[in-house]
Amino acid sequence: MSPDAVPATRGGARAITAALEEAGVTLVPSVPDTWIGWLMEELRRSRTLRVIDVAREEDAVAIACGAALGGARAAVVIQNAGLLNCGAVIASLVQLYRIPCFFLVSYRGDARDPVYYHAPKGERTEPTLAAWSVRHVRAEGPARIGVQIRQAVAWVEEAQAPLALSFSAEDLA
Amino acid sequence: MSVARRAWLDALVAALDPARDLLVAGLGANARYLPHLPVRVPHFALCDAMGAAIPLALGMALARPDRRVVALEGDGSLLMNLGTLVTVAAAGAPNLTALVFVNHHYESSGGQRLPAVPADFAAVARGAGLPTAEKIDAAGDLAAALARCAPGGPALLVLPTAYDPAEMVPPYSERPDEIRLSFRRALQGLAPHPRGGGGTTRPRGDTRRRAP
Repeated sequence: MSPDAVPATRGGARAITAALEEAGVTLVPSVPDTWIGWLMEELRRSRTLRVIDVAREEDAVAIACGAALGGARAAVVIQNAGLLNCGAVIASLVQLYRIPCFFLVSYRGDARDPVYYHAPKGERTEPTLAAWSVRHVRAEGPARIGVQIRQAVAWVEEAQAPLALSFSAEDLA
Repeated sequence: MSVARRAWLDALVAALDPARDLLVAGLGANARYLPHLPVRVPHFALCDAMGAAIPLALGMALARPDRRVVALEGDGSLLMNLGTLVTVAAAGAPNLTALVFVNHHYESSGGQRLPAVPADFAAVARGAGLPTAEKIDAAGDLAAALARCAPGGPALLVLPTAYDPAEMVPPYSERPDEIRLSFRRALQGLAPHPRGGGGTTRPRGDTRRRAP
């Protein structure tokens, strides 16, 4: 499948939506990219998820932290370019105050994404997350992504720490 | 005309409703004063994460529509994240009110001046889509202004604040874990977690926003 071709099926996107609902997530602060746009079409159909359109990714992280402090669960849905913007707020809010924070990240620029201009950030994302001590898990396809989301949401609550679950277009199909 | 920060904070603390309000303070002098004030509502203070107070309060407001969330932010912090006003307006949380303390200085890092433009934050907020944004000129008017905001937010109040290089701003005296636990317990109606509190005052500039 071409990386920017709309997937004919959205089984993965529907599985993500269902898993977020089952995990008790109610808020989804997000900055879109192409792949997230496809996912959002499913997320916005949910009766229990509220998508919060934000102007910059750091805001999404702060909103998720505020929600957690208020007793709700959120999922920050952003591209890896935006995740790379978030180093300071992850260190100085999420990690400093030990607030659970779950990221669902469209991972552009890895081997599954032939678009050349995403490649530099694709190469730098995982080493950066490792340097930031942010746990990173790659989605393992539409059939597994729901289970991975439920596990990830449980993990951030237990660990009081950030976790990024990254997906590609293939995981939405 | 500007007002001493402590006068704003005293008026704010007196105006907050323990049955309704939650308080979020951005990094800097407001957060450093809070442990020394008789704050009767659950409150969460940042000691870093510059620019995060308002979006943090927005998340709290969305999670707790039964409470009003008041966010305290400095003009330097808001300038770092001005786009958050659009996010706030779009989210439309009616229970969020932001107070912006405008003193034209990066107070916590030693009093450096902000970019030398007299930005009209109320006009910026209205331009970003906030239905209520106004400047308050006297501490005695703050309670009435907060009451006006209560039903129709999100709102932003601009508080012209005197910059006094000799002011003895207390140091941070609570650890982040204490702050988080105390906030959560207070929100659940439990007895407060023992907080650090107290501490002596030190001249401003004893903490730095960024490592030198």
